[in-house]
Amino acid sequence: MERQAIVSYQTPSGQTVKIIKHSFLSIRRWPVKRVAFVAGLHGNELEGIYLCHLLTRHLRGLQTSQPEAFKGEVHIYPAINPQAIATGNRLWPFFSVDMNRLLGGENGKSLPAQIAGALLDDLKSSANIVVDFHASNLHLNEVPQIRIIDGFHKKLIPLAVHCNTDLVWVHPPSPVFESTLGYNLNRAKVRALIVESGTCLRLNCDFANSLFNGMLNLLYQTGVLVPAEPPPPVEHPLMVQPSQVALLQSAHAGLFVGHTKLRQHVRKGDTLGEVIDPADGDLLQKVTAPETGFLFTLREHPLVYPGSPLARIAIKETDLL
Amino acid sequence: MKETIFSIPAPLSPTANLVKFSWEGMHPKETFSIVAGLHGDQLNSIYLCSQLIQFLDAVAKGIEPGYRLKGRVQVIPAANLLALQEGTRLWSFDDLDMDLTFPGNAQGELAEQIADAVFKHTVDSQYGIVLHTAADHYEDAPHLVCLNPDSVTKDLARSLGPEIARKPEESPAFRLKLYYRWINQGIKAVIVSAGKPHQLNQPLCKTLFSGLVNALLWTGVLTCNQKKPRKHTVEFFDSGCEQLIHAGAAGLFIPMAKPGASLKKGEKVGEVVDLYTGAILDSPVASADGSLVTLRDYPIVYQKEPLAVLLGKRKFRFWPF
Repeated sequence: MERQAIVSYQTPSGQTVKIIKHSFLSIRRWPVKRVAFVAGLHGNELEGIYLCHLLTRHLRGLQTSQPEAFKGEVHIYPAINPQAIATGNRLWPFFSVDMNRLLGGENGKSLPAQIAGALLDDLKSSANIVVDFHASNLHLNEVPQIRIIDGFHKKLIPLAVHCNTDLVWVHPPSPVFESTLGYNLNRAKVRALIVESGTCLRLNCDFANSLFNGMLNLLYQTGVLVPAEPPPPVEHPLMVQPSQVALLQSAHAGLFVGHTKLRQHVRKGDTLGEVIDPADGDLLQKVTAPETGFLFTLREHPLVYPGSPLARIAIKETDLL
Repeated sequence: MKETIFSIPAPLSPTANLVKFSWEGMHPKETFSIVAGLHGDQLNSIYLCSQLIQFLDAVAKGIEPGYRLKGRVQVIPAANLLALQEGTRLWSFDDLDMDLTFPGNAQGELAEQIADAVFKHTVDSQYGIVLHTAADHYEDAPHLVCLNPDSVTKDLARSLGPEIARKPEESPAFRLKLYYRWINQGIKAVIVSAGKPHQLNQPLCKTLFSGLVNALLWTGVLTCNQKKPRKHTVEFFDSGCEQLIHAGAAGLFIPMAKPGASLKKGEKVGEVVDLYTGAILDSPVASADGSLVTLRDYPIVYQKEPLAVLLGKRKFRFWPF
């Protein structure tokens, strides 16, 4: 394994912060493909950082025992926003800047913008396929899923089906995506999958293990990693478009109390939770499933305002290709 | 007239109301909208609105000699009310930058709902001004920002007072700003940026206030039989004219110039000194003659951070044959 700092900067108290890339090179002169895993663009999303640890540990062992398995290259960027990670914050500290909203044009030359630009350039020169790991924000808990912007779906779905996620969700394009890493990689013809799993500031080992198996399978299916024993087969994900997703929102300000668990099939009319008025003891809203389907998002943060998302249900599958 | 345009009920707290103030003449044809406080720490712009509200109330009551309302003026003085109440740039509950959520979404998160309300209440305007201060940790000399201004927008800029106008490059993030959404709808609009966040600079606000009144006179939504609108000289700088001066080292930045100063090539902008010993680590200088439009205000700096923005003559990459 090679370790390299793609960019570094000095802190006011004298330490050097390095954005690290771990590389597992191919035994071939011309690698089959080059796959990169990226985590920690948002400093409070720990699931992807843990996944990078699982992958690095596994690949280090494999490189020692079966170096011939590496037909392609693997690059792992485990912590893009190290100081935000150190403080458990989503945004780049000091300026409250979202590192995943700085790409795609002239967005100033702030330090986070320089780092985001350096990351994009490094990925473009190092990888054909990128997996960018995210967790949800403090408010929601998500089953492992891949989010794809409509228009890129024909090239991405054939990769996404190998990743062992519960769901692949194809979104319509929106201006807000245009400054993200995933969008800019896909525009640069580097196929980028955006994985969303769990909630921030927590680790869900079940989700992480599912995704770990999925990533090994992705490496195997793309011919990058061909070990003596192939990885176990993975489940086919549900494929949905926005019209097949029921979003439940709070109609009131209050506390959301969940009465169900994520990652399960619910029937129309099932109780998912309630919104209560904590001061007066009133029940403000009974939250029930509007349709039968797969519960893939559930509110984690109890505090809600009118319009706050409470849950998402995938109603039916579609053939997107 | 003071009107609530959006209510934000909160669990266990009083409802916060987003307010709009408006005045109109007898047969209003044109509307001039002014929006401030998109970030909760931009106090100059909020104070400036309060002065304008006081003035326009007096005009409406007929106690401001010579002035008469002809068109319609509307002011939204504190768009990001929740962040303002928290004393922060962003509302910490969702960490969303409200000025990157336009045109908003009536069904979305709270910041998006507020953005939707602000946009819907201003989109039918003919003229618009967004009031800002510098980004966190910086101070701006009073200046204007306008993207690809036409002759009318340039004249609007000339009515406002600041002598500098920056013409930024369009980027995906810029397209999510209220200002961009306005000009996309054909509104003649300008951003006014001055001062620093978390601070109230009354002399600065007094100067800007005169400019705002002059702009209202220039557009004709306000008339005064004792005063003709003034046309100021404004120099327009495109992004190629901007020189960024970066910190070569991390430490404490001691400025040696003030925002708005004219600097000669080689003149010191300041010094970066060691946090512990005070030893000089870097002495950033102006790389060409120019006006200092933005300067670092908060002394703690990381290496590679921008310390200043200087507006000078455009640098030609090739000899201009």
